Amino acid sequence: MSTVTKADSAAPAESAHPLAQRRPLGDRGFAILALASGLLVLVILVLIAVSTSQQASAWFSAEGLKIFTNNWNPANNQFGALAFIYGTAITAAIAVIIAVPVSIGIALLLTEVVPRRWARPIVYVVDLLAVVPSVVWGLWGILVLAPWLQHIYASIASGVHGIPVLENLFGGSNISGASFFTAGLILAFMITPIVTSLSREVIATTSTIDKQGAYALGATRWEMIRGVVWPHSQGGVVGAVLLGLGRAMGETIAAALVIGSSATITSHLFYPGYNMPAVIANQFGEASGTFRAALMGLGVLLFAFTIIINVIARGIVERSARRARGA
Amino acid sequence: MAVTAQPQAGPQKVDLREPPSWRRTKNRIMTWLMILAFVLTVIPLGFVFATVIAKGASVISWSFLTSGIPPAFSPAGVGGMGPAILGTLEITALATVIAVPLGILGAIYINEYGGKGLLSNFIRFMADVMTGVPSIVMGLFIYTIFTLHFGYSGLGGALALACLMLPIVIRSTEEMLKLVPDELRQGSYALGATKSRVTVTVVLPAAVGGIVSGCLLAVARAAGETAPLLFTILTVTSVNWNVFSGANTSLATQIFSNATQIYPGAQARGWGAALTLVAIAFIFMIIARLVTARFARYQN
Amino acid sequence: MQLRGRKQIAAVGGAVAVALLAACSSSTTSAPPAATGTGTGGATSGSTSAALSGTLNGSGSTFQANFQAAAIQSFKSVQSGMTVNYGGGGSGKGRTDLASGVVNFAGSDSPIPSKEADNFKGKTILYFPVLIGPITLAYNLSGVSTLKLDAPTIAGIFEGKIKTWDDPAIKALNSGVSLPSTSITTAVRSDSSGTTQNFSLFLMEAAPSVWTLGSSSIITWPSTARAASGNSGVAQVIKSTSGAIGYVDYSTAHTAGLSTAEVKNKDGNYVAPSPESASAAAAGTTVATDLTFHAVWAPGAQAYPITYQSWDLVNQSQSANNAAMLKAYLGYLLGPGQQILPTLGYAPLPASIDTSAKAQLDKIGM
Repeated sequence: MSTVTKADSAAPAESAHPLAQRRPLGDRGFAILALASGLLVLVILVLIAVSTSQQASAWFSAEGLKIFTNNWNPANNQFGALAFIYGTAITAAIAVIIAVPVSIGIALLLTEVVPRRWARPIVYVVDLLAVVPSVVWGLWGILVLAPWLQHIYASIASGVHGIPVLENLFGGSNISGASFFTAGLILAFMITPIVTSLSREVIATTSTIDKQGAYALGATRWEMIRGVVWPHSQGGVVGAVLLGLGRAMGETIAAALVIGSSATITSHLFYPGYNMPAVIANQFGEASGTFRAALMGLGVLLFAFTIIINVIARGIVERSARRARGA
Repeated sequence: MAVTAQPQAGPQKVDLREPPSWRRTKNRIMTWLMILAFVLTVIPLGFVFATVIAKGASVISWSFLTSGIPPAFSPAGVGGMGPAILGTLEITALATVIAVPLGILGAIYINEYGGKGLLSNFIRFMADVMTGVPSIVMGLFIYTIFTLHFGYSGLGGALALACLMLPIVIRSTEEMLKLVPDELRQGSYALGATKSRVTVTVVLPAAVGGIVSGCLLAVARAAGETAPLLFTILTVTSVNWNVFSGANTSLATQIFSNATQIYPGAQARGWGAALTLVAIAFIFMIIARLVTARFARYQN
Repeated sequence: MQLRGRKQIAAVGGAVAVALLAACSSSTTSAPPAATGTGTGGATSGSTSAALSGTLNGSGSTFQANFQAAAIQSFKSVQSGMTVNYGGGGSGKGRTDLASGVVNFAGSDSPIPSKEADNFKGKTILYFPVLIGPITLAYNLSGVSTLKLDAPTIAGIFEGKIKTWDDPAIKALNSGVSLPSTSITTAVRSDSSGTTQNFSLFLMEAAPSVWTLGSSSIITWPSTARAASGNSGVAQVIKSTSGAIGYVDYSTAHTAGLSTAEVKNKDGNYVAPSPESASAAAAGTTVATDLTFHAVWAPGAQAYPITYQSWDLVNQSQSANNAAMLKAYLGYLLGPGQQILPTLGYAPLPASIDTSAKAQLDKIGM
């Protein structure tokens, strides 16, 4: 408080120190504490990258580029991980293909269709999907959904028997309830809340004037959505979808329980498969030496993929938000 | 519509309705598709909740919540999940104690001290990115830097969960701090308060409702996480009151191990644990919403 | 100080909470020394052992899991101050945990393989056999209540060469039974398992010309195999898949209510898995000085050919309290614990092996 009156006095340049340096110790300490906490985020990210890569270095040096081959054979010290990368990509793709239309549909429903009163209960219901922990999805998936789906898959498989492309996707002889498709389906349930809420945030920023203008020209609601809302929000929605993709890639426990634990590359979606987080969760406990380094390495790859996708996604969302603000 | 200049000889009926067209039908189809999207979401949700409640409720009882974890082959009525509940509560509590103060301070830096600066923008961006890091990577990270040196303990699990919670707390707190009107800060500065005083005594209390609600949601998320705990606590079946040393257990990891058991008793206990976990997460979510409704002074 | 009021209270409160929690840390693990451990040589079964306190952690073989769980519970009435935890996870995990020192004992169905020997450099590991049991061929085939199989046929099935139940090779062994044309789904272990190790060892010894996948705790099965973790997981796959067959330990298969096949033994007889046929197999095995042996493909008219065993591995050097606790618990497993085995579906150790194991208890902590 005394600093204020001092600055007011007429005495010329009485202190060589600027006001900031005369801050009390406690205040500066607090500022440093806040800065340190903020930097903690960066420190943790760097530490993750460094420490896990270090642990995985034995794998990278033993296998080199062969880590991208489909040759996972721990008994013979071979650790080509292509099957897991493939599995991660496939299950995430299935999850996104199923979840995105549904999420965008709900987001549009909430912002354009339902009266304001009904919006909140619907949001609550969608958020309930996020309340269910991942392991409970997995428990329900393996004990209830997978056995039930196995019958459905078997019927579909016998139905598409003989049809060229469909049989390669949905047919085959090794049909299992615990498979790529079941894992993708459960991942879709899990990423729907986040894609919905992010899409909704973006769509809600569409200017009312533009919307009213479209209606004034005689557009139906769908035409208005297509002509006004979509061009405005498409960047943000793409970002939301990418974030959902990143989430689906990294989701571990639900996938580990229902994916079938079989390291194979196959086009048949109803066959058991494997993906990166699932194999790490299932086999880490018993691995040692190069095996453990290989699983760590899969973790490093997973970290790298999700960071890249998240950076791109956040960049897109931010850019479209800036554009929407009229910058 | 034919508008003629003929003089009206009695009431003329003019049909002002738009003629049926493909456009309107398409609009209606799309509306129904959007409603279908919502219904498609409700179906698995209802399915899961119905199963968890039906299968879990038959097992839950006071003795279930307090008894020890029996061998896997024990029949359904025997034993319970007491140690797992204790483990979840103490590990999550420790994670909260670690993550919340650090997260709030970090958000304070980004919003109050950093402003539009390059560093604070970068930290904000990286915190967003960090929310997308898979939980299993956090588990591997803490395993590497902590568990390998100090052994399995609840503390390791709490550190991994804290890494998960930190970016969520930072981002939600920052959103709340942004909503506090600048006039409050300016008024305090005018009275001669230092920046830290302003932040702690004026801004934080103004945003506390929203901050608490955001933290509760982060806690609910952490309570249900399994992957970070898999490598750090060595799921055991005994009670461990000491969260800082010795292997521990939690509801989430216990459900994971029971999910692969063949014995119906173990599966039944798994459902009971699932119901307990969902109930805990649900209660946190309800409390968070109540706090927002009653205490958040400034809302989006 | 500018930071007054609320923040100070919070800081003090936090410090108090942390201090309280830290004060609780004295209650468990290694700190308090044992009260006059068991000094007198030989068997420790129940003889005047003083009250011990502390925690023992073990992990590993899921074959032993049911036995460990039951023994831990009844051991509480012998030493109420001790807490014993057994984590399962497969024999490979147990050996890994023991090598990195995170557990006091590891359950393993096979001796430490040569490629893991480096992890134990400089340590002396003691093997304590604890139980014997059959590996069953459990299957799910409605309408077929008895099934006879021999080693070459089993090898063919698990290599993916025999694909349907009505294959001539299976039909030849089961003349009176009508076999459907359902396709065979093999259920196998995805984790590093001693059960896999012993099962594949049996196939290597009994059908060397047919079995090409070697013997190891992790095997690269054909892509048509359905993998699951733990004996329990494999049993779950079999139970839920019609036409499935897999290798599961007797205790798990029996409790899960799965049908099991009769297997042709070395003497040419078809024997069903049971504690008795397992004991018959173990009776004639030769035991090495470090108490390792293997009971697969053992001779004997009534011997079950896929009988295996499990050890608890312990590091010889231990702190005084840990040594006393290990002697007490392992002594219990080798003494009164052996009585629980038949009810759980295992066979007790042959008397001579049991005695040698008890004598080896003294070596712990030396």
